[in-house]
Amino acid sequence: MSDSENACISEDLGGYVLVRVCGEVDLSWSQQVRDAILAALGNGGVGVELALVTYIDSSGIAALVEGFQTARGKGKRFGVIAASRAVLAVLQLARLDKVFPMFADVDAARAA
Amino acid sequence: MPRALHDMNALIRPLESLGRATIGSLAGMGYAAVLLGESLYFSVAGWRIGQPLRPRAVAEQMRQIGVDALPIVVLLALTIGIMLGIQFIAALSAFGAQSQVVVAVAKSVTREFGALITAILVAGRSGSALAARIGSMSVSQEVDALATMGIEPVRYLAAPALLAMLVMLPALTIFADAVAIGGAALYSSPALNITPSAYVMQTLSLLEPGDVWQGIAKSAVFAVLITLIGVSTGFSVAGGAEGVGRATTRAVVLSICWIIVVDMIFSYFLNR
Amino acid sequence: MNVTAPLIEVEKLEAWYGRRRILNGVDFAVNPGEIRVIMGGSGSGKSTLLRHLLGLHKPRSGTVRLLGVDIARASERQMLDVRRQIGVSFQGGALLTSLSVGDNVALPLREHTNLDEATIRIMSRLKLEVVNLGGFQDLMPAQLSGGMIKRTALARAIAMDPKLLFFDEPSAGLDPVVSAELDELILRLRDALRMTIVVVTHELESAFKIADTITVLDQGDILMTGTVDAVRHSDNERIQDLLNRRPREIQVDADAYLKRLTEEAA
Repeated sequence: MSDSENACISEDLGGYVLVRVCGEVDLSWSQQVRDAILAALGNGGVGVELALVTYIDSSGIAALVEGFQTARGKGKRFGVIAASRAVLAVLQLARLDKVFPMFADVDAARAA
Repeated sequence: MPRALHDMNALIRPLESLGRATIGSLAGMGYAAVLLGESLYFSVAGWRIGQPLRPRAVAEQMRQIGVDALPIVVLLALTIGIMLGIQFIAALSAFGAQSQVVVAVAKSVTREFGALITAILVAGRSGSALAARIGSMSVSQEVDALATMGIEPVRYLAAPALLAMLVMLPALTIFADAVAIGGAALYSSPALNITPSAYVMQTLSLLEPGDVWQGIAKSAVFAVLITLIGVSTGFSVAGGAEGVGRATTRAVVLSICWIIVVDMIFSYFLNR
Repeated sequence: MNVTAPLIEVEKLEAWYGRRRILNGVDFAVNPGEIRVIMGGSGSGKSTLLRHLLGLHKPRSGTVRLLGVDIARASERQMLDVRRQIGVSFQGGALLTSLSVGDNVALPLREHTNLDEATIRIMSRLKLEVVNLGGFQDLMPAQLSGGMIKRTALARAIAMDPKLLFFDEPSAGLDPVVSAELDELILRLRDALRMTIVVVTHELESAFKIADTITVLDQGDILMTGTVDAVRHSDNERIQDLLNRRPREIQVDADAYLKRLTEEAA
């Protein structure tokens, strides 16, 4: 089905957590992504890297929205990093690209 | 057209329409039986095939069918009780058998009138509402929409109504029994020179469990009849808003006819 | 499943209404990622074809395969799996009038997933945002205008992120601006959510704008299936009649005509 394996890996980079998501994010495992993002928010700011995501459905987007909302509630930083074209198309469809803090890469996110 | 053929036609036409009506009503009964089977199947095993019966939907139907009908059931049952009191006192005093009023009221209410009046009332209120609701949903393609969403219309619309009706109609019947006997007590006790509470105590000592059960058993059968007729006429609606109106009327008339006929059959077999 | 296999495959589908034949052995296939428009006048059989594609009718003769599943032979479980991957926006919206806009859109999610209520709320409101109805979730269907009903129906149809989306008469009864917006939305849905979309319509303008391929149906037969250009330049007379809104020539059979007018049991 997909070129890359579905995966969701959290990396603690000191002060913030990078959540790398790959593959096709759909209903079957988007709850995992959601849990990973919400868990990461316990340790500080969160950047969600989506460069290798080939497809994301609305349950995946919902995970991002919930993460962002929770981060704002806790006064933590949240960013979407290196969204792939597939992700960007969906975000634009719902005009969420104007809502999330979007960063081109990890360094840009760190600089901000 | 030759004359003879014309005459033949005059003969055949009514026969034809009679045949068509017979097939139509047989098909209707068959459809109702399928609906009954499917509703029960979804109620029991629906969760296993991804079509679970929602307790919330059942509760909502129970409220609409049962709780909302309480005021009107009280009013009618009370009236029927008083009416029976009047009639029995008038009729039995002609034989000097006034003392039999209590038992006559008690038995006729629990065995017959409680269940019958409640069922007719609920057929008018909820049978028609079911037919109208499902009918207008069929017309506006809501039923199709449910089906294409993978929500079985029978599970979503018919099964909750059937379960709710099976619980609430017997419950309302028991309630109506009590109120009707209360009404009879209010009217008859002065004429019988006893207190209303003595009247009620006397009723309780005269009633056998079988009397009450007879009414309850009937009301369960009526519940199935009302739901199936309401739901099946609703699902078979064709022809826009006018069709919904016709279906609603049809559901009420058919339900009441069936209730009365089935009631008679039951009474015959249970009281031989 | 093979990636290139058609999502919809119809073979020799016949449909009857009483003694009248509505579809005369129709063959039809839709590939993944395609926007297919089914076009035809009233009485062409397009609604009947759609009802078969939705699995609302079982074919009496011929086969209908949706997502590789033969709907005449599918078990209930298989049928349910297929239906979870299909979204349908009906002509009149077919919103459940007893539920609010938000609950209508959330209904498929509540019925078919075990997602967290917070996730369901976000997902369904997201879909309302997509169709430009953000913030309208608490209204009841009766309070909506025609265009809003259509958009809500679309939001509900895409609630589960279906692979295959059916849209019945998207522009019927809408003013030109709203219907143009809907056309735009259909194109964006395909691009962003990678949906395969089947649109049934009789509106030429909208058909030419959104279609990758068009199937022209006339009196139960498929006249042609082809790209927008191929259909535009077809030399088939009936297709040109449809495109140029010419009334069709009705062949008159004098005997049959007289029989229809005079006989008692025609």
